[in-house]
Amino acid sequence: MLVTEADYLLAAGEKKMKSSESKGAAATREVGNKRSLDIREHVEQDDYRTIGSPFVDDAKMTARNVNVFYDEKQAITNVSLDIGRNEVIAMIGPSGCGKSTFLRTLNRMNDIIPSCRVQGEFALDGEDIYGEEQDTVLLRARVGMVFQKPNPFPKSIYENVAYGPRIHGLAHNKSEMDEIVEDSLRRASLFEEVKEQLDKPGTGLSGGQQQRLCIARAIAVSPEVILMDEPCSALDPIATARIEELIDELKENYTIAIVTHSMQQAARVSQRTAYFHMGKLIEVGDTKQIFTMPAHQLTENYITGRFG
Amino acid sequence: MNNMSKPRSATPTDAIRASLKKRYARERRFQWYGRLAVLTGFVFLFILLADIVSKGTPAFTQHYIKVSVDLDPATLGLPAEPSREQLYSADYLGAIKAGLRAMFPDVSGRKEKQQLYRLLSMGAEYNLRDKVLDDPRLIGHSSEFWLRAHAEAGSYLKGQIPAGSPEADRKVKDLQIAWLDQLRAEGRTESRFNTTFFTQGDSREPEMAGIRVALYGSFFTLVVTFLIAFPIGVSAAVYLEEFAPRNRLTDLIEININNLAAVPSIVFGLLGLAVFINFFELPRSAPLVGGIVLSLMTLPTIIITSRAAIQAVSPSIRQAALGVGASKLQTVVHHVLPVAMPGILTGSIIGMAQALGESAPLLMIGMVAFIMEVPGGVTDPATVLPVQIFLWADSPERGFTEKTSAAIMVLMGFLILMNAFAIFLRRRFERK
Repeated sequence: MLVTEADYLLAAGEKKMKSSESKGAAATREVGNKRSLDIREHVEQDDYRTIGSPFVDDAKMTARNVNVFYDEKQAITNVSLDIGRNEVIAMIGPSGCGKSTFLRTLNRMNDIIPSCRVQGEFALDGEDIYGEEQDTVLLRARVGMVFQKPNPFPKSIYENVAYGPRIHGLAHNKSEMDEIVEDSLRRASLFEEVKEQLDKPGTGLSGGQQQRLCIARAIAVSPEVILMDEPCSALDPIATARIEELIDELKENYTIAIVTHSMQQAARVSQRTAYFHMGKLIEVGDTKQIFTMPAHQLTENYITGRFG
Repeated sequence: MNNMSKPRSATPTDAIRASLKKRYARERRFQWYGRLAVLTGFVFLFILLADIVSKGTPAFTQHYIKVSVDLDPATLGLPAEPSREQLYSADYLGAIKAGLRAMFPDVSGRKEKQQLYRLLSMGAEYNLRDKVLDDPRLIGHSSEFWLRAHAEAGSYLKGQIPAGSPEADRKVKDLQIAWLDQLRAEGRTESRFNTTFFTQGDSREPEMAGIRVALYGSFFTLVVTFLIAFPIGVSAAVYLEEFAPRNRLTDLIEININNLAAVPSIVFGLLGLAVFINFFELPRSAPLVGGIVLSLMTLPTIIITSRAAIQAVSPSIRQAALGVGASKLQTVVHHVLPVAMPGILTGSIIGMAQALGESAPLLMIGMVAFIMEVPGGVTDPATVLPVQIFLWADSPERGFTEKTSAAIMVLMGFLILMNAFAIFLRRRFERK
């Protein structure tokens, strides 16, 4: 399945090259170009409206009119985006475009940065994320996170996974905890590799194993949404493939938002893709559509590698 | 080829090659400076240690002289059936003097007799008394007793008096030396391990003086210091680093903490005197007050090093903990502190070592007193090792010179033990 999607992407690139020759396709492209050029001028303005379909019917999380500032510097400008239930949404864009910042607003990880200021309306199942009654501890238990660099605790593998359930009181006795740990490690497809060394430090694992351990740690508290901030950027292609398979399996039960620099990865694992540029959400749409027929010139430039 | 290269070095490679020799020579020179610096440090350390050890070692031995004492009830001034009190206050000194006179029958004249008696310590009679109290059946018999030698006599027996020095320059007179030589020839002198040094408090007589009061005082003082400074220091560091907002007030607090670390320690002593003794009326000379004063002095060190250690903890661990829904306090207690603990312990041990060697602030709160009773708690009067060293170093008697060095050795041993314990703790935290 992964292979087909990669082929799909390659095919899409070839199609683009050929399409300039074919007359009919050239005509549609002309229209597309014209429209995107118009919008490109609009990008410089604050009231830029995202093209594509930022809203979905069955939204797990919603974000409306989001602005994020680091001191005086604006990192995100007027972004509205829905994250659908049990979907994988990929956020792509050049470095510094605000995709990671946006991801971190979803479970309020930006709170720990003193200079960071967040405006806008956020909701998880219709519940205000930044509301007065919202507890960040509960929120982060419901919206888990996997970070760019594998960051296991300097404790045993078992303790790494058991930590979340323990502080939230999810297990009532040792056997329940063992079950949670084993189940989480299995779902992160790490259990077979580490079952003999659960008491060894998690930091002694390889990079790919550490990242799967971090995923196991995140899913051990049974979150509803998992945010992944470039989870494979520090991993080799084999470890990356395993994580991607894992994301594919996890989407059955979880809603996943993933930030990635790899367009192949976005194409392989996600159903929807959002393209960010300079703090603005340029285009959102079906992954296939974004990678085959991007509506915006910036999106096209980025996915075809013509950017910068 | 181009104008930039000079004619001598045609290509950049040649230029680099030409400069290599110079660069390596500079590096080798630098390494030699480093080695020299380390070597100099070692030499000085070795000289210092060798001096202290060579001067201090004799203090760990004590000479005893075997004297035949007739414990005649008449000499002792005891009735037929003496009570324990009467045994306690009997005239043992008289009996000892009689014994000495019997050993050297040809000594006559007040001055010579005085010199003869001065072969033995003032504490000899207490030695004898204790032996009699242990076994009252000794009364009425004549027995041989090993009695403690006077410090000056001991000094001669240890070979510390250079032969041929003029009599006026030394406290051991020629007559005494003759007697001591005779006693040694008869096998009536013996060198034993000096237990008194570790079991007794201070004394005016060098051979009776011990380090125990100072050792206990230092121990109690440091326990108080640690119990106050460590929790407060670590809590303050955690609060300032993890919870406190960054604003003018916290900036001001930070500057003040840094400045406090540089305040001369005697100022803390004055503060202790004014606040804890005069205002709160806590006991004078007590380890409690000493500990409080030293903890004030140690706090800035612990806070500054703890903050640095907490700052050094990778933010990714904090994010990981927050990411699974740990509260801020849980993040700090479960993840940040255990990782920062080795650094915090290192800082604390530096602060505690400073406190252990501190004497100036303790002089201000009366821990300089002459105390013979071993303290039983933090409110009993005591002194501390550095103050004891200071007191002994100030005493003119030869016997105290070796005691001073010996006390320094004990102080260093204390320090090594403390550091070893801290390293042990740090290893445990690092292994986790």
